[in-house]
Amino acid sequence: MPVLPMPPLMQNAIEPMQVDAPPNEDNENNEEQQIVVENPSIDLEVYANQYNGIVRLHRLMYVADVCPSLAVEALKMAITYVQTTYNVNLYQLLHKRLSDLNASNAPAPPAPAADLAPVPVAALPDIAAVPAAIALPPLAQGQAAAGEKDSFAYDAVWVDTKMKKAALKLEKLDSDLKNYKSNSIKESIRRGHDDLADHYLSCGDLTNALKCYSRARDYCTSGKHVVNMCLNVIKVSIYLQNWVHVMSYISKAESTPDFAEGSKEANAQVHTRLECAAGLAELQQKKYKVAAKHFLNANFDHCEFPEMISTNNVAVYGGLCALATFDRPELKRLVIASTSFKLFLELEPQLRDIIFKFYESKYASCLTLLDEIRDNLLVDMYIAPHVSTLYTKIRNRALIQYFSPYMSAEMHKMAMAFNSSVGDLENEVMQLILDGQIQARIDSHNKILYAKEADQRNSTFERALVLGKKYQRHTRMLILRAAMLKSHIHVKSVTREGGSNHGAELCVSAGSTTTAQLARM
Amino acid sequence: MGSALENFVNQVRTMSASGSFRELADDLPESVSLLARNWSILDNVLETLDVQQHTLGVLYVLLAKLHSAATANPEPVQIIQLMRDFVQRNNVEQLRFAICAFYETCHLFTDYLVQKNLSILGIKIMARAVDQIRQMDTQLTPIHADLCLLSLKAKNFNLVLAYLDTDITDISTAAAECKTQQQQQSQHTVDANNDAKYFLLFYYYGGMIYTAVKNYDRALYFFEVCITTPAMAMSHIMLEAYKKFLMVSLIVEGNIAFIPKNTQVIGRFMKPMASHYHDLVNVYANSSSEELRILILKYSEAFTRDSNMGLAKQVATSLYKRNIKRLTKTFLTLSLSDVASRVQLSGAAEAERYILNMIKSGEIYASINQKDGMVLFKDDPEKYNSPDMFLNVQTNITQVLDLVKQINKMEEEIILNPMYVKKALGSQDDDLTSQHPKTYSGDPTD
Repeated sequence: MPVLPMPPLMQNAIEPMQVDAPPNEDNENNEEQQIVVENPSIDLEVYANQYNGIVRLHRLMYVADVCPSLAVEALKMAITYVQTTYNVNLYQLLHKRLSDLNASNAPAPPAPAADLAPVPVAALPDIAAVPAAIALPPLAQGQAAAGEKDSFAYDAVWVDTKMKKAALKLEKLDSDLKNYKSNSIKESIRRGHDDLADHYLSCGDLTNALKCYSRARDYCTSGKHVVNMCLNVIKVSIYLQNWVHVMSYISKAESTPDFAEGSKEANAQVHTRLECAAGLAELQQKKYKVAAKHFLNANFDHCEFPEMISTNNVAVYGGLCALATFDRPELKRLVIASTSFKLFLELEPQLRDIIFKFYESKYASCLTLLDEIRDNLLVDMYIAPHVSTLYTKIRNRALIQYFSPYMSAEMHKMAMAFNSSVGDLENEVMQLILDGQIQARIDSHNKILYAKEADQRNSTFERALVLGKKYQRHTRMLILRAAMLKSHIHVKSVTREGGSNHGAELCVSAGSTTTAQLARM
Repeated sequence: MGSALENFVNQVRTMSASGSFRELADDLPESVSLLARNWSILDNVLETLDVQQHTLGVLYVLLAKLHSAATANPEPVQIIQLMRDFVQRNNVEQLRFAICAFYETCHLFTDYLVQKNLSILGIKIMARAVDQIRQMDTQLTPIHADLCLLSLKAKNFNLVLAYLDTDITDISTAAAECKTQQQQQSQHTVDANNDAKYFLLFYYYGGMIYTAVKNYDRALYFFEVCITTPAMAMSHIMLEAYKKFLMVSLIVEGNIAFIPKNTQVIGRFMKPMASHYHDLVNVYANSSSEELRILILKYSEAFTRDSNMGLAKQVATSLYKRNIKRLTKTFLTLSLSDVASRVQLSGAAEAERYILNMIKSGEIYASINQKDGMVLFKDDPEKYNSPDMFLNVQTNITQVLDLVKQINKMEEEIILNPMYVKKALGSQDDDLTSQHPKTYSGDPTD
C-alpha cells in the first residue's frame, strides 16, 4: 500500500495543465469573437445561483472575460464558490486573475476619477486587497476566522489542506475501488468508479472524470445504469465542450432498451435532460433549427439540472433559435401555441414579448427589444458566439416576411419599420435578393422595392435552351472521348533512353512562345 | 555517291511505274539518311521526279531536305515553294502509303517556318495538307496542331476556325498508321507519345485561338478536353491548359463549377503547381474587384512568366461585368455613381463606359439617363415568340438529334464488332478467348 498513493499524486502533478484547458478554450473563443460587453443589466448573484458545480465557475469566468465592469465581482463570486470544492488549481488561477485585474486597475486611476473627491476611498478597497493578500497568510495561520472574513485574499492554508484532503480522498476511493475489483462485485465497482469520477470532477480534473465515468460502462447491469452512465458522460463532455461526444452518448442513452420502453412519465426528467443536452450540442454546431426543436421538447416540470443548464437558458436558446429558423406556421404551432414552452417563456418575459411582436409583425419594437437583451446574451458563454448570426437571421426573416404580401413597397417606410437608414436597408435587401430569398428589384431612384413577376414560359424556354446546349457539349465530349480511347491517346511518362526526341512529351513548354500574343489582348 | 542517288531515282521511277507503292513505301525510309547526306544535290534529284507520278519519292526528298535544313540553310522561299507545289499537285493515293512520313514532313516544315518567322506563309499550305490527308471532315490528324500553331504565330485565325469548329469523331494517329505499314517496331513508342502530344497541342492551341477571338465557351471546351485526356503522367501541355482552363472558366461561368472527375492527374500534380491560379479563383468568389486587383498585382510576375497576364486582366474585367450584371438582377434604377461604388470602379464615368459596352454587346439590357445620371435596368426583352427564336430552337433540336443519331451509329458499330460479341457471350469458352480481349484494352467497350 505505501507504493500505491504515488500514482494519484502523480496525477495531481499533471492536473494543473488539464485544469487550465477549459478556461484556455474560453479564451480562444473570445479572441475569435472579440466580444466585449459594456453594460449588461444582469444581477450576477441571481445569475450565478441558477447554476452549481463547474458550470457556475465556467460561467462566472466567462463573464469576467467578456465584461470588464463585472469582472471583479464575478471573480470574487467564483472564488467564494470554488472554496466549497476541491478545485485547488482553479482557485489559484482565479486568484492570479483577480490580482492581475487589480494590478492593472490600480496604477491607472479609474475613469470617473475626476468626478468626485472621495476617489481614494473608492479606489481603496481594490488596492487594499493586494497588500491584504500578502499580509494575511501569517495572520491566517493563527486565526482561521480572519481568513474567512476576507475570503478574497489568497489562502495558502486552505490550499494546502484542500490539496491534502483531496489526495487523501483520492487515495481512499482508489483503494476502495481496488477492493471492489478484487471482490468483483459489479455494482460496487460501478459505484466506485462513479465516486472516483465525482471526486475528480470536484477537483476540476475533467479528463480523468470522463475516463472514470466511461469506465463504469463495463459494469452496468441494468438499463437504468447505462442511462445514468450516459448522463454522467454527457455532463462532463459538455464541460469539456466536446459536442460530438455529447451527441453520440445522447443517442446511446436513447437507444437503451429500458429507457426506450419505459413509460414517458417516469423518464421525463432524463428525457428533458437529454433534449437540453442535444439542443446545446446542436446549437454549438450551428444547427440552429434542430437545436430549437430539441429545446422546445424540454418539459418544464422536469427541467431541474443546475449543473448543466438553467430553465432561463432553455427559454432563451430555444426561443432565439426558433425565431431565427422557423417559418410563421411553425412559430405559431411549436412556440406560441406550445403549452409546455409557454412556461419557459414566462421566465423570460422580454423574449416572450419579442416572439409575440415578431409574430404580430411589429418588427421595429421586436428589433429594439432584441437589441436591448443583446448585452445580456453576450455574457452567456454558450450563446454569445452565435448572437450575431442569430440576429442576422432573425432580421432577414423579418425583412422577407415584411415584403411577402406586397407588389411594391416604399423603402422609406420599410426602413422606418426596421429602425435603419434607407441605404443600409438597400444593402440588406440587395443581399437577400442575390441569395434568392426575396424575389424583387429595387428602384434606387425612387426608393421603391418592386416584386418581380416570374414569367414561367420565358424561364422554361431559357432553361430548355441552356440544357440543350449542355447536353450537346457533353455528348460531343463523349464522342471525342470514345475516339480518343479508340486510337489509344494516352499521356505516359517516357523513358529517356530512346533519344532526345522522347523527352519532348514531358518538357514541351507549350505556352512559351505562342501565348505571347494572348498577353497583349 | 552519285550512283547511290541514281539508284534511288531509278528505284522510285521503276516501282512507281509498276504501281508497287507499298513496297516502295517500305523501302524508302532507309534512304532518308542517304538523301540527307547529299543535301547539296537534292534539287537535281527533284528535277528528275514528277510530283504527280512519283509522290512518294518527292515526299522523301522533301523530308530529307527539311531534316538537313539546319546544315544546308536553304532559301526559305524555295522550301515554301516546294511544299506548296507538293501539297497542291501530289497524288493522294500514293501519299496514303506513307502517312507517317508526310506527318513528319509537315511537323518539320512547321518548325522550320516558326523558326524563320514566316508562319503566315504556311497556313494555307498546312490547311491544304490537312484537307488532303484526312479521310473525313471530322477526322483529327497530328498536323491539325501544326495548322493551329502557325495560325497562332501569325495571329491569323480565318482559315483555322473552320477546322476548329468541326467536332472531331475520329483520330488519325501516327502510331496507327505506322502499324498498318508495318514499320520498325522501335519507332512505335515514340509515335504513340507524339500522338498524345499532338492531340493535346491541338486542343491547347485551339483553346488559345478561341480565347483570342473571345469565343470563351468553346475555349473552355477545348481546354477541358485537354485536361481530361487520359494520362498516367502529367504533361506540361496539360498543366498550361489547366491554368488557362481555370481562368477561362472564371470568365465564362464566374466560378469553377465543375472539375472533371476522371483526371487523377489534376489533383495530384496540377493543383500544387497552379496554386496562384487557385488563389485567383478563391478571391474571385468573393466578388471584390479590389481584392482581385491586388492579387493579380501580387502574382503579376508569375502570370507574366506563364504568359497569362492578358488573360488575368480579362478575368479582372469579367468580374466588373459580373458585378454589374448582379446589379441588374437587384435594381431597377441606380445612379451611375452608386454603380461605381458598388462595383468598385473608379467613378461614374468609368461605370458608364462599362455599362455602355455591356449594353452594346447584349450582355445586359439597360438605358442610361444622362440628365440625372441614372441607369434604368430592364428585363431581357426576349419573349420567345419571334420567328428567329423559333429557328434557333429548331436548329438546336436538329443538332441534338444529329448527335443522338451519331451515338446510335457508334453503338451499332460496337454491337457489330466481333470482338465485342465474343466478349459479351464469351464467359463460357473462357480459356480460348481470354487472351484476345486483353489486346483490346484500349477499346471504349471495355
